[in-house]
Amino acid sequence: MLLDYDRLGWLKVVLLAFTAMVAAFLLLPVVFIVLLSFGSSRWLAFPPPGWTLKWYQELFADPSWIEAALTSARIATMTAILAVAIGLLASFALVRGTFRGREILRGLLLTPMVLPVVVFAIAIYAFFLRMGLGGTTLGFVIAHTVLALPFAIIPIATALEGFDKSIEDAAIVCGASPLQAKLRITLPSIRIGIFSAAIFSFLASWDEVVVAIFMASPTLQTLPVKIWGSLRSDLTPVIAAASSLLVALTLALMVVTALLRRKLQT
Amino acid sequence: MTEPFLSIRKLRKAFGAFTAVHDVTLDIPKGEFLTFLGPSGSGKSTTLYAIAGFQDPTSGDVLLQGKSLLSVPSHKRNIGMVFQRYTLFPHLSVAENVAFPLRVRRRPDAEVKRKVADMLALVRLESFAERLPGALSGGQQQRVALARALAYDPPILLMDEPLSALDKKLREEIQTEIRRIHRETGVTILYVTHDQEEALHLSDRIALFRDGRIEQIGTGEDLYLRPATDFVAGFIGNSNFLAAEHLETVNGAATVRLGDGSLISGINANGSFQRGQKARLMIRPEAFRLDQGSTGAELAVEIVDVAFYGERRRIVARTGAGQEIDIRPTSATLATQDVETRHRPVFFDPGAAFLFPA
Repeated sequence: MLLDYDRLGWLKVVLLAFTAMVAAFLLLPVVFIVLLSFGSSRWLAFPPPGWTLKWYQELFADPSWIEAALTSARIATMTAILAVAIGLLASFALVRGTFRGREILRGLLLTPMVLPVVVFAIAIYAFFLRMGLGGTTLGFVIAHTVLALPFAIIPIATALEGFDKSIEDAAIVCGASPLQAKLRITLPSIRIGIFSAAIFSFLASWDEVVVAIFMASPTLQTLPVKIWGSLRSDLTPVIAAASSLLVALTLALMVVTALLRRKLQT
Repeated sequence: MTEPFLSIRKLRKAFGAFTAVHDVTLDIPKGEFLTFLGPSGSGKSTTLYAIAGFQDPTSGDVLLQGKSLLSVPSHKRNIGMVFQRYTLFPHLSVAENVAFPLRVRRRPDAEVKRKVADMLALVRLESFAERLPGALSGGQQQRVALARALAYDPPILLMDEPLSALDKKLREEIQTEIRRIHRETGVTILYVTHDQEEALHLSDRIALFRDGRIEQIGTGEDLYLRPATDFVAGFIGNSNFLAAEHLETVNGAATVRLGDGSLISGINANGSFQRGQKARLMIRPEAFRLDQGSTGAELAVEIVDVAFYGERRRIVARTGAGQEIDIRPTSATLATQDVETRHRPVFFDPGAAFLFPA
């Protein structure tokens, strides 16, 4: 191959350095936040003069942080369930359907991924205000589901495309009704895609902040909204602690996904 | 006459302007192994899929023991099917794959267990029961698919080119298995293939499809020794077609003049010919005799090439009219000096030669 790593020669060094820089650029801020959350300085000074867990104590002692985290988890879970359910049905239509306008529908379902989030947020805010859904859990879940849908459809549709429909036909000839065949054969066969869809939709809602800021009310805040709000009112290392937990949970989910994928694929 | 077991009545399937199957009518007795043979796009698979219920025919009917199957959805037809592609359920073990049709029929556990054991024994894969399909070779997967298709004792087993993804040696091995299983179970089998050798090896009867119609139906011998059309003669086995001019036909025995001017009489005439009509004379490569003292019709040729193929020799010869023909005498009946003369006659039985319209 033209760009074979082993044959790059001195360019290898350049490539490695560049890659390291990109990785550092992406990861360093996160590493800083995590370090600061354990630092004893009230003013987020770096390097920290000493190490402490008191910001975490403060975080867990404040019911509003706990509540924000629980709200986030609740909304993200509901979003994941809804996005997977709709994504599954949509994927069958997009992959197996032969109707007119299928490609347009596919584009439409994937637009939330390319549309500027602020534009979407303002539009849905105005709409939900009129519908009386502003500041409600339902409103949150609907808005996040729309945003999460592309992340659900892409892995499920990909898995379904890779699944030979003859296998489903074989189940039907064996005596399974078309619905039974889908539930007992097709869904288990594309479970990796469904599982990825669930994780990605959960994360799409879990760390979403723009739409959440518009949807939030003083009584209903997700964790990212609470972090953003606190950042503006008082800059405290508790925010760093909360952010670290957010990152930790996200990382944990990604690791679990990777491990499960490996297990399911063998 | 007793009612046929499976009956296909004037089955027609059109896709828009294209008609894939033209009014196919066919009766299949119980326990028969019938093969649909034909080139791709000849309508053989479409016919099979209409019987399975995956294609709704445009018109016509499919009757099983006198009852129409068309209003019965696929999953209630109780038909077994083995597909061209590997269709084992990837997340279920071999045993669970075979058990699946019994489980959806809610058969008791003890029966399922017994039947799965029987079926795996039938296809000789008992020791693979707990494996996942991914850990099996292609041939093993198709044998499990066969076990799964037979687990619920279906009256008919449909097989859609089940061996086409396998290599030649494995294919022959599984053909032998399929013959044995057909013998042991007595199930009625409809088998689709484009491979004439496979069809000849397996079938009681062969229906040769061409452009959505059945060109000829009969035993392998019928099709090989008594082809109804030049298409059948060309599709089954190897054939030489010589340009000829029809002179006269008396009691089905035709006399023709070949391109080099020689006359040959006593040929099987398919259809009626006018005097002077252009025709094609079909002679199988193995019907030619080269040994001294051979009788029958004579054809003067020039030997172009001789190759040794073990049990047979393969000779390329040129007729007086300049047409190349293929001759395959058995090696045992041919001495080397027989082919040393470049210009010589070859002989054939005109009763084993056929005349078709050009």
